[in-house]
Amino acid sequence: MNMWWKIIIFLGMSAVIVSAFLTASPMRAANSLGPADVYRIFYFHVPQAWVASLAFVLSMIYSIRFLKTRNMEYDTKALTANKLGVMFAIVAMVTGSIFAKMTWGEFWNWSEIREVSVFILLLIYGGYFALRSAIADPDTRANLSAVISIIFAVAALFLIFVLPRIYSVFSQHPSDSIIDKSGQITMGPTVRMIFFSSLIMFTALFFWIYNLSIRVARLTANKLLENK
Amino acid sequence: MPTRSISWVSKSLAVTRKDIVSEFRTRYAINAIVMFALVTLTVISFSVGLLSPSKEILSALFWVILFFASMSGLAQAFIKEEETGTAMILRLSCEGSIVFFGKMLFNFLLLLTLSILVVPLFIVFLKVVPTDWTLFTGAVLMGLIGLSGATTIIAAIVSKASVQGALFTVLSFPVLLPLLVAVIEITTVSFTGGTYADASAPLQLLVAYDVIMITLSSMLFDFVWRL
Repeated sequence: MNMWWKIIIFLGMSAVIVSAFLTASPMRAANSLGPADVYRIFYFHVPQAWVASLAFVLSMIYSIRFLKTRNMEYDTKALTANKLGVMFAIVAMVTGSIFAKMTWGEFWNWSEIREVSVFILLLIYGGYFALRSAIADPDTRANLSAVISIIFAVAALFLIFVLPRIYSVFSQHPSDSIIDKSGQITMGPTVRMIFFSSLIMFTALFFWIYNLSIRVARLTANKLLENK
Repeated sequence: MPTRSISWVSKSLAVTRKDIVSEFRTRYAINAIVMFALVTLTVISFSVGLLSPSKEILSALFWVILFFASMSGLAQAFIKEEETGTAMILRLSCEGSIVFFGKMLFNFLLLLTLSILVVPLFIVFLKVVPTDWTLFTGAVLMGLIGLSGATTIIAAIVSKASVQGALFTVLSFPVLLPLLVAVIEITTVSFTGGTYADASAPLQLLVAYDVIMITLSSMLFDFVWRL
């Protein structure tokens, strides 16, 4: 079972990477800002950002479950999701910055709400881990970090969904690059194929690492128990 | 039912009153907050007052002062209870939601006192007068409600941890960011003399934020308060 996962992700990822660079660029040269080849990063940047938000949502769900059941298993899951979320958020931020430099001319732009919100996401993760390291008792730690991650999630909802709607000038990110206003997929067949494969592969990669980390965390916890 | 809700309100007020009395005895939080605000205000007046900054910048600076001043004192509401060991008695004597709203009201009054002191000084030092006082007062009041509503539960969380002061700021900032964006926008409109239509979007955001944050905090408070 686990061997299959590895093989499928390896082959799928390789196929996505190779086809992202061998097919025509997702953007026509006439419409692109900067060289059209730059837009190939779209195949990687968007799935990374998607996985980062997936990890964030996952940790909120497990935090709510923890508060309902007080099962420490859910605390481990929320923590693991957050750890991976940091990793993918950093990767998405770096690829996004490169993309921004090549198209909009600057690595960083404070008026770009999506760039700001990924930065805030990292601040949120920083706060979460700072809180965890500041509490010694495991039960208190699990409880309080679950509460704070729910509060953070609601604040993040405001930042990510409400603010850009109110201040439309804040974002240069196209809102119709994947789905247009009428809900239709706007990409051509090849681009669509590569993009959605990449999305699936990144999600699979995330769950594979997630699964491994959970098992490592469980082993560590058991070993600690045996040492006592 | 009416008697129950009346007693609930009066109990919350009793918690607030207790905090006000103990604040008058020690003056710990109000001294810290007011001095911090004065220091920040002075630094800002010295550094940018001579440059004749635009009204947009001034409204942002106004909220920077209030934000950092409140960070210096609001955490005390629960830290003091834990340090002096009175938290346990408070836990025994009433429900979590009563404590939450009592403390929130206390923090709100603390911030109100602060802004009553800071607003005139800000206007005098930085030579900016709101053209629309109703909008300005509304923005400040709604902003303070949101500030106290969102930070009360964070203060309770932080009181259980070590390195409390730094942690409080770190945890509060991402939560308060939507509030700050909205409130700075409204304050700018009130300084520059825009219409209510200019401020309607951030006002809606602000009201939604206040309502959602206070509801969420009061729902989650028991998980923090009764461990």
